[in-house]
Amino acid sequence: MSRELTYEELASLMKSCTGITMDPQRLRDDPQAPLADIGLDSLGLLAIVSELEKRHGVQIDSGPEACKTPGDFVAAVNESLTVGA
Amino acid sequence: MTRRVAVTGVGVVAPGGVGVPAFWDMLTAGRTATRGITLFDPAGFRSRIAAECDFDAAAFGLSPQEVARADRYVQFAMVAADEAIRDSGLEPGAQDPWRTGVSLGTAVGGTTRLEHDYVRVSGEGERWDVDHRRAGPFLERAFTPSVLASAVAERFGVHGAVQTVSTGCTSGLDAIGYAFQAIEEDLADVYIAGASDSPISPITVACFDAIRATSPNNDDPEHASRPFDARRDGFVMGEGAAVLVLEELEHARARGVDPYCEISGFATFGNAYHMTGLTREGLEMSMAIDTALDHARIASCDIDYVNAHGSGTKQNDRHETAAVKRSLGEHAYRTPMSSIKSMVGHSLGAIGAIEVAACTLAMARGVVPPTANYEDPDPECDLDYVPKTAREARLRRVLSVGSGFGGFQSAVVMSRDGGRSR
Amino acid sequence: MNIPAAERRTVITGLGIIAPNGMGTDAFWKATREGVSVLDRITREGCDGYPLRVAGEVRAFDPGVMVEERFLVQTDRFSHFAMAAADLALQNAQLRTEEMPAHRVGVVTAAGSGGGEFGQRELQRLWGKGPSYVGPYQSIAWFYAASTGQISIRGGFKGPCGVVASDEAGGLDAFAHAARSIRNGADAVVVGATEAPLAPYSMVCQLGYPELSRSEDPERAYLPFTAEACGFVPAEGGAMLVVEEEAAARARGAPVRAVVLGHGATFTRSSRWDRSREGLARAIGAALERSGCAPNEIDVVFADALGTVEADRAEALALADVLGPRAARVPVTAPKAGFGRAYGGAAALDVAAAVLALEHGTVPPTPRVTDVCHDLDLVTCRPRGVELRTALVLSRGLMGSNAALVLRRPEGEI
Repeated sequence: MSRELTYEELASLMKSCTGITMDPQRLRDDPQAPLADIGLDSLGLLAIVSELEKRHGVQIDSGPEACKTPGDFVAAVNESLTVGA
Repeated sequence: MTRRVAVTGVGVVAPGGVGVPAFWDMLTAGRTATRGITLFDPAGFRSRIAAECDFDAAAFGLSPQEVARADRYVQFAMVAADEAIRDSGLEPGAQDPWRTGVSLGTAVGGTTRLEHDYVRVSGEGERWDVDHRRAGPFLERAFTPSVLASAVAERFGVHGAVQTVSTGCTSGLDAIGYAFQAIEEDLADVYIAGASDSPISPITVACFDAIRATSPNNDDPEHASRPFDARRDGFVMGEGAAVLVLEELEHARARGVDPYCEISGFATFGNAYHMTGLTREGLEMSMAIDTALDHARIASCDIDYVNAHGSGTKQNDRHETAAVKRSLGEHAYRTPMSSIKSMVGHSLGAIGAIEVAACTLAMARGVVPPTANYEDPDPECDLDYVPKTAREARLRRVLSVGSGFGGFQSAVVMSRDGGRSR
Repeated sequence: MNIPAAERRTVITGLGIIAPNGMGTDAFWKATREGVSVLDRITREGCDGYPLRVAGEVRAFDPGVMVEERFLVQTDRFSHFAMAAADLALQNAQLRTEEMPAHRVGVVTAAGSGGGEFGQRELQRLWGKGPSYVGPYQSIAWFYAASTGQISIRGGFKGPCGVVASDEAGGLDAFAHAARSIRNGADAVVVGATEAPLAPYSMVCQLGYPELSRSEDPERAYLPFTAEACGFVPAEGGAMLVVEEEAAARARGAPVRAVVLGHGATFTRSSRWDRSREGLARAIGAALERSGCAPNEIDVVFADALGTVEADRAEALALADVLGPRAARVPVTAPKAGFGRAYGGAAALDVAAAVLALEHGTVPPTPRVTDVCHDLDLVTCRPRGVELRTALVLSRGLMGSNAALVLRRPEGEI
């Protein structure tokens, strides 16, 4: 199983961890759209990071929760996940 | 004619020292009370350090019945209130109990005992429909935060307005601010005002772990609380209480009491920004400072000392530095500004009151408490943070500020003209 | 010092109601006016195994409809109620807050127990699975300040924000705080209280209240001012209101619903209901004095109605102490007998009910109560039409607070 975070997985985590419904296609189409516009803040990103840490059994350093766009967040998380691989 | 509000009594229960003498010793020595958590086994938590009170309720005169009935945070408040009342020289029954009020703050109230009993009734989290037969006695008192003000009011026979205030980490400043306003508006002559919290329990430690707000510097707890330092990495949780006796100035003079100082201004605003986040600019805290100064009719350039919120998170210290600079202008660079959280940790709702108590003592004794652990300057925090060593200074106008989850931004202004040193 | 501040009077311009007997002003007033009782067996998940069977649940509330979806995950039911009630109040007041200076709109709530259901879920994660399973929203959802913070952020309100974590009487104290904010310069304050105490662990905690009704019969569980009084029935929900500075409200042509005239608060120890007679009488006295209002101007009383014989007697005697011989003729009512006591929310709902009563010239009845055993003119069975100008709202808390609030119908333009 790939460890890389995809937009599908992100959309599903957004729903379960933060209660925000988001079409993965929209994330993919506009990865630089501000997360703030859909109400996703650092607490929400931390909730997602925490869930990813449990799924992958790794620790993700501070940083991704400060990202402002889905593209940056996915990139930052994947950097941590692949470094740990 | 404006009614003025004097501080005539102080009581403190703080990590590293219960009672005013021990508390003051610690602050002026720049000693830190942060250590590995002993109140529960912190294995498995991200942050395993805290500033704990070595508190023996019986040694401070609480009966076994009182100890059984009162949560730890209520016990702290009772002991701090005892000391404050004693210090003020007020005799129970000597003033009108209907003109005496209580205003006490707490951020998380009885959560520590709520969690303790939860573990029993739920079989360690096994069931949602918990078993009420396994609940301990007085659990309703842990559930009900108004117990805090109520317990202190009962202890001293108070019959005026009695209120628990809970505005997160500004609870202490706000509880004192509300009491100040009530005396000023002639709703009361005397208030027992302050705050208390005992949040060092697994659930509260875990919730701050989850947002990475607390310091993970578990290997060096004594140096973990580093407000304004470039290497700061979060706050260190604390616990404790401080209670002040506030009194209408003529009321105090009539009984021949020389007050410590006066509370002369208070304001609070919301930042309407984020439940936990703070802006870079600190506009709303600055507005609270400006409004409190206006209220006190004090010019910003007359401020001699700023007691900072200084929690030691990246965001807070930068936010607060910006706010103070916005309000004090160039004068900010000439004004000492320190955070006692470097020594006593961040006791959530209680800390605002503990900080006002520290300001009261600092004014009366002419000493600015330092910011312990301050070593490496952060370019975004470029004020005089009084590193490590206390400093003698004549303090006539002092400002204490705070920020709380939920966006609360509060400021208290204190004044001292003459008065005896105590 | 109270009177010069009268230049900035506080008026109520909007009601936001989330009550067991109705959401929104119309539904609430219809049910309250008719004296409908909605007390029933508790149905919330996991809440049916306790010696507390009857409560007032807000069954019509669908949080997914009333607030943004993300708040279902991010905060507790008591804050869902508060946010929804604040929305209703702001709509009701037709207040365009986006056109006002943000720092002149404040928020004050009273909170008696915070986000208990949310907290229980996170405790279960912590103790059932481990510390890392506690989510980030625990830090903002359980504490008492959650609702004020969320309303302030959601609405962009940067004025004075406060939280009274008090017992029931805190629901009235919140209005005193709001009035102070208005006197000190705010133009509008969103004020009130909502509670959500019907989660399993919260219920277990409440079992320690000696005044709690343990009756299993919804028809007999909460009968204040009767010889059968056996305690109070808890409820969830509450009300948020919009209060404004009178001149500002009139300048924008707002519907001024009532004037908040004065408040008084005292303390007479927990579980000492005999002493609440003096405490309540003095709170009423202080509220009247600050209102510049004589006792004989009171046209209707919204009673605390705790529902124990001793507490009810103390309240009746307090009214007699203040109102004198007129006490037996002033209509008194306790609509909460029909939907329960939502702690701080109960006092806020009484304020809302009093505003509606003043507007309609109608005293709603005390549901299910018939045989009154105290010397009071308790309105029972059906609503009573009567000219109303001034209302007195009373509240006492289980921890010993007593509070009184005086409201008056606005009189034309000034």
